[in-house]
Amino acid sequence: MSKSSDKALNILRALPRVCLANIRDNPGSKQRCRRGRGQHGGDKHGDGNKGSGQRQNFMRLGYETGNNPFYLRFPQEKYYKGHHLRRQYPPLSMLTLQTLIDTNRIDTSKPIDLVSILNTGLYKLYPDQHQFGVHLTDEGADIFNAKINLEVQWANELVIAAIERAGGVITTSYYDPHSLQAMINTVKFFQKGVPIPRRMMPPPDAIEYYSDPSNRGYLADPDKISEERLALAQKYGYNLPKIEEDNNYDMLMERKDPRQIFYGLHPGWVVNLKDKVILKPKEEELLQYYAS
Amino acid sequence: MFIIPKLRTLSNRLPALIPSSVSIQSRNSSFKSSLFLEDVGKINTPYEVTKDPIDWSYVERVLPLKTVPPPIKKDSYPSGWKPQSDELADRPYFIKRTKNHMLPCYLHITQRGIKRTTLLKNIEGNIWLLEKELKEFLQPQVFQILRSQVNEFVGYIRINGDHVNAVKYFLEQKGNYITKNVSCY
Repeated sequence: MSKSSDKALNILRALPRVCLANIRDNPGSKQRCRRGRGQHGGDKHGDGNKGSGQRQNFMRLGYETGNNPFYLRFPQEKYYKGHHLRRQYPPLSMLTLQTLIDTNRIDTSKPIDLVSILNTGLYKLYPDQHQFGVHLTDEGADIFNAKINLEVQWANELVIAAIERAGGVITTSYYDPHSLQAMINTVKFFQKGVPIPRRMMPPPDAIEYYSDPSNRGYLADPDKISEERLALAQKYGYNLPKIEEDNNYDMLMERKDPRQIFYGLHPGWVVNLKDKVILKPKEEELLQYYAS
Repeated sequence: MFIIPKLRTLSNRLPALIPSSVSIQSRNSSFKSSLFLEDVGKINTPYEVTKDPIDWSYVERVLPLKTVPPPIKKDSYPSGWKPQSDELADRPYFIKRTKNHMLPCYLHITQRGIKRTTLLKNIEGNIWLLEKELKEFLQPQVFQILRSQVNEFVGYIRINGDHVNAVKYFLEQKGNYITKNVSCY
């Protein structure tokens, strides 16, 4: 062994052992997040010479430095024109709804509406992002087996058939954003101490959907809805359970007024959660305003 | 809070410039610095205060539950969800359900959708035996040697690749509990 390595080993014996307290990162393994000046990485700071890289003015996507860009070169059909203004209905599958019922998150002995779905905390709704309620999708329609009185904002034919085959009833109904805001967090809304708002009528482009008996719209004629129930049962080939002979007939027939947003609570009432009282207006003008 | 009183005293000092009958419009810099609303006195709008228990039952219906309710025992669960097994004694390991009564098995997608890992959490007991059994079960389904990470202290097993449904199926076979097509939350 050479003299110098002998010396080095002797020094090592005297030095403290390597431990977490006295090791450091490999040089260059950590990148500094500061733009050094002068000798500490100055000059061009690693950004190259001239152009977008140095000036950090990156061109927008699709820009071709003055050419007519490719994405504007040909005429187009605007399929998605105004998409940011359209009503959105965030989906909730029938499988998820069945899971909510199985795990005791939703009480089937009472009518199920948007409030009871939102109260589970497992479905979120943002009215300020043009979301207008539940779109019940048909995933899990085959396994669905719960007799419920359901109210959603959008449903297709298969979903309606699956609900009615199981002996339940379904209604599609519209809520305006102010009503939705009250329904999202009922405790917070009642604590505000403002009257329960009256539900607005659907906008012109939605009124057709919500007054169509085949969609089980809440503005449709109930007689036509019962006709449609029978027609759908014949189309899909199942025996329509008679809700008239059902034990839960009263629960299944419970419906909201087109101006009402909570079951049993009239618009215009103020709910006081602290004293557990309800304030009801008596003035004729207010009664007329909140009347259906 | 104090801007408006100051302005009012200023107007009192300058009677020649501003007549006292003219009130100075206060434009507060923010909502916080503005004064509180004054008491409006007696409200003339007539209203009725009711304590009807039937009406109040409808209020209670729309109030959310404060905790997650325990699941009810039923003969069958159409969604495929199953409650935790009753016989849990004398088992080498135990996987605690989440607060939503679901199995704590998750898919983690990282590196912009490229890397997929399966995470099984809330493991108590012999975690190494569970890892061994899981590997034996999953290995025939993949070509490469299955890579996994065991954190005994925290109680999780992380497996490379998407094996969420397979792990849930495995646990169901072990009597723990869930079918593969259930939707979880």
